[in-house]
Amino acid sequence: MDDRRRRFEQLVLPHLDAAYNLARWLAATDADDVVQDAMLRAFRAFDGFRGADARPWLLAIVRNCHYTAASRRAKRKIVPLPEGDELPTDAPDPEASAIEADEARRLNQAIKALPDEFREALVLREMENMSYRQIAEVTGAPMGTVMSRLARARSLLRESWRLEVKEAAR
Amino acid sequence: MSCERALEVQAYVDGELDAAASLAIERHLAGCAECRELRAQLQELRTAMTKHARYERPEPEFRGRIEAAITREGAPKRVKSPAFWRGALSGAVATAMAATIALFVFLPSPSDRMADDIAAAHLRSLVGNHLIDVASSNHHVVKPWFAGRADIAPPVSDFAQQGFQLAGGRIDFVNGRRAAVIVYRHGGHVVNVFAWRDDGTVRPGAHRVNGYQLLSWKEDGLVLCAVSDMAPGELRTLSDLIRKES
Repeated sequence: MDDRRRRFEQLVLPHLDAAYNLARWLAATDADDVVQDAMLRAFRAFDGFRGADARPWLLAIVRNCHYTAASRRAKRKIVPLPEGDELPTDAPDPEASAIEADEARRLNQAIKALPDEFREALVLREMENMSYRQIAEVTGAPMGTVMSRLARARSLLRESWRLEVKEAAR
Repeated sequence: MSCERALEVQAYVDGELDAAASLAIERHLAGCAECRELRAQLQELRTAMTKHARYERPEPEFRGRIEAAITREGAPKRVKSPAFWRGALSGAVATAMAATIALFVFLPSPSDRMADDIAAAHLRSLVGNHLIDVASSNHHVVKPWFAGRADIAPPVSDFAQQGFQLAGGRIDFVNGRRAAVIVYRHGGHVVNVFAWRDDGTVRPGAHRVNGYQLLSWKEDGLVLCAVSDMAPGELRTLSDLIRKES
């Protein structure tokens, strides 16, 4: 195995789960294809990578692949499969109580319902524990925009979540 | 939420504020009920997400598929052997080679007192409060500081753009001799780069001592040794940066 490949395996491949998680939350149905496409692009572009932390760099590529595929689909007027419950829903956990499982389902539904740019900021912050600077790097948005998107994402999430809590209580 | 400091409260909850800014917002929180409510909401949401938000992981075989795709991508085009054997063989050879290289590079050499000594100096610098004599992210401050204190002029640069922020420098003693140390920060990691005049007694290479990674090389009549608890790949990135700079 050549040095380039080895470096790629050391620096980039450990972030495969992060790439997949982001792709699933963005793309739902064709996450596998998006991630594979992104990994190959990352490998081809790897000589140009000059950072220390490959995660934001890789996730930026994942995000680009997703939006490119989505716009190509839109141009060809391909209608994606109805989303339904394709996006993350919690598998029933026998250990968790019914209330817990219900709360989890409601929260994940609420995240899923967020507009793309809010959802991606929230996923990167809360699931990837990324700093504002890293989120800015992934999304190509200025830090101020990252902050306001996060604030908006959280207030929307809270509203819809609260609404569901009320409905559930009825 | 209408308080104009709402975004600062969010940044505080997200751990994005430095000590001074945190103190300022804590003072504000004490007097602003609206912002206290916001903080409570943000914390509640974080707890719920930590507990319930679903982290999506690929199927176990997905990684193998990606690796195979990369292998196809990187394989020399002129190889004529059947695709199946090429894939299987390259995988097996790759695994064997990776194991060999790992042994070669990371096997600690017990005779190398220098490596032990540097790892010990690194640890000392972390647990004591003598990490930095001159604290600055400006190499125009750190580099001249060494003049008159060390008998060498070590390479000093800031690589904040690449994720390695220059934190400062100090003088340390390794194996009974004076060494210049350049300190970098990378996320939560501290990297000490030791530098001393090459007297031919140390061979460059990589070591692992007590969980610390060491990577040493020679340039311009100096021996440099970077040590940290970062991943080996990250340490190599920093050493490449330093070498390129000088």
